Amino acid sequence: MGDFIVEMFTYTFMQRAFVVTTVLSASVAPVGTFLVLRRLSLAGEAMAHAITPGVVIGFVTAGLSVTSLFFGGLIAGVGVAVLTAYLARNTILRSDASLASLYLISLAVGIFILSAAGSAVPLKSFLFGSILGVGDATMVLVGGVATVTLLTLAIILRPLIMSTCDPVFFESQMKRPWIVDQGFMFLLVLNLLAAFKTLGTLMAVGLMILPATAARYWSGTITAQLVIGFIFAFLSCWVGLILSYVLPETPTGPSIVLVAGVIFAVSTIFGPLGLRSKFKETRHV
Amino acid sequence: MSVFAHIHALSLGYSHTPLFSGLTLDIHTGMILAVVGANGTGKSTFVKTMLGLHKPRLGGIHWPNGRPPEIGYLAQLSEFDRRFPIRVRDLAAMGTWKGFNPFSGMKATTRGKVDHALDQAGVLDLAERPLHTLSGGQLQRALFARIIMQDAPMIILDEPFAAVDQNTEQHLLRIIDGWKKENRVVLLVVHDLSAVLDHCSHALLLGNGAANFGPVLDVLSHDRLVAQGYMSESQASWMIRRCREEGGQYG
Repeated sequence: MGDFIVEMFTYTFMQRAFVVTTVLSASVAPVGTFLVLRRLSLAGEAMAHAITPGVVIGFVTAGLSVTSLFFGGLIAGVGVAVLTAYLARNTILRSDASLASLYLISLAVGIFILSAAGSAVPLKSFLFGSILGVGDATMVLVGGVATVTLLTLAIILRPLIMSTCDPVFFESQMKRPWIVDQGFMFLLVLNLLAAFKTLGTLMAVGLMILPATAARYWSGTITAQLVIGFIFAFLSCWVGLILSYVLPETPTGPSIVLVAGVIFAVSTIFGPLGLRSKFKETRHV
Repeated sequence: MSVFAHIHALSLGYSHTPLFSGLTLDIHTGMILAVVGANGTGKSTFVKTMLGLHKPRLGGIHWPNGRPPEIGYLAQLSEFDRRFPIRVRDLAAMGTWKGFNPFSGMKATTRGKVDHALDQAGVLDLAERPLHTLSGGQLQRALFARIIMQDAPMIILDEPFAAVDQNTEQHLLRIIDGWKKENRVVLLVVHDLSAVLDHCSHALLLGNGAANFGPVLDVLSHDRLVAQGYMSESQASWMIRRCREEGGQYG
């Protein structure tokens, strides 16, 4: 077994997969933590679908290059985010309803174009990514996104915490409170794009949300949740990669998200703020 | 006492719902102004206009010494996410977040100030507790500590006593009295008229499309309370009789 594991690390594609998912974990985990705290967990999923048409148009017009997919997705994601905020502010629709409407349209457009263009790229690679085929461009993309994310979060951490905890107070104290909200949505789109290339459109949000929701069960402070969220995301990636290597024919993206799912289930049952605390309370009553 | 803010011919409302029009008043330093009215009369809209979050239909607010850079604000408790994972100490420290360097921790002097604010609000012993373990009254005290940290010349409180017990209300009212002595302006949206009579110098009564401002006793008279739809005849008579018995301002 030991030799088997050692052998695994000698393959370049596995080395790249371990490096890229570690960096990706450092980037998506804190974004996921704030998504959960801002009650936007489902919005993350919706946004992952919303970037599809941009990615597809990028692919159809410029081929399967990281740059075209990145900029296509970025334009679509930011477009949907801005339009959602605009509709929520200026019409009777709340942001969840306008986001749901826009992402559905967006997703349909994406699949329509992909099919109409008679794509040679299997739909599977769009849905589940290709983590074992990580090239230099993807490494640079994930590294760049992680750098931008961590630096931005360091700068806007306090305002972001405040706007998440008490948005009404935050709005009363800032001249342009929307900068923080839109800045965060921009980070979300960036990270979805980084995760999209490696995990695919269906699994990208899994690595963002599951470690964050699991971490929520372990600590009552935001700092600890950020750290625990990263550790869970990192563990999910490594264990998921090893699993998919050990069990041939198993897809890597779903394997990673499945491990994150197991961590979530264990946290729900055994975490100090999970079901255990509920049972304790009931017994005391 | 100098004029802190001059409100001129202010009309508020939403696209199809006018709330009131033609309100003109001067807010002086050290004034504790009660904002009273039935639900839906525009109390919170007035507060949001003062904060710059709502545009008036007509008229406006003039600040003779410039708009204060900091306005203390306590929104209604129902708008607050009580499950948010931070400790009481961090919540109070949010009052001074504008002065923080993003790449460094809290200075020792700020930490001392936070302790002092928590002590004043009566929650120093809860400083390390996460928010979700607090009762409604304890949370409101922690939010008062945040306002103390803001050290603002004007403080706006939107229904601060809605979910707190009598002891907490009395404690918070003592803090508000302290702010008056420090010459701060306090706008207090409140339903408890006995608190208004005992602690506020002026009142703004909203209702039935009108806005009346003046010294508390002039504004909260039996006839006005009835005319502006805040109380029925019998409720207003009972309230004033009770306040006389308690020897308050009506006596």
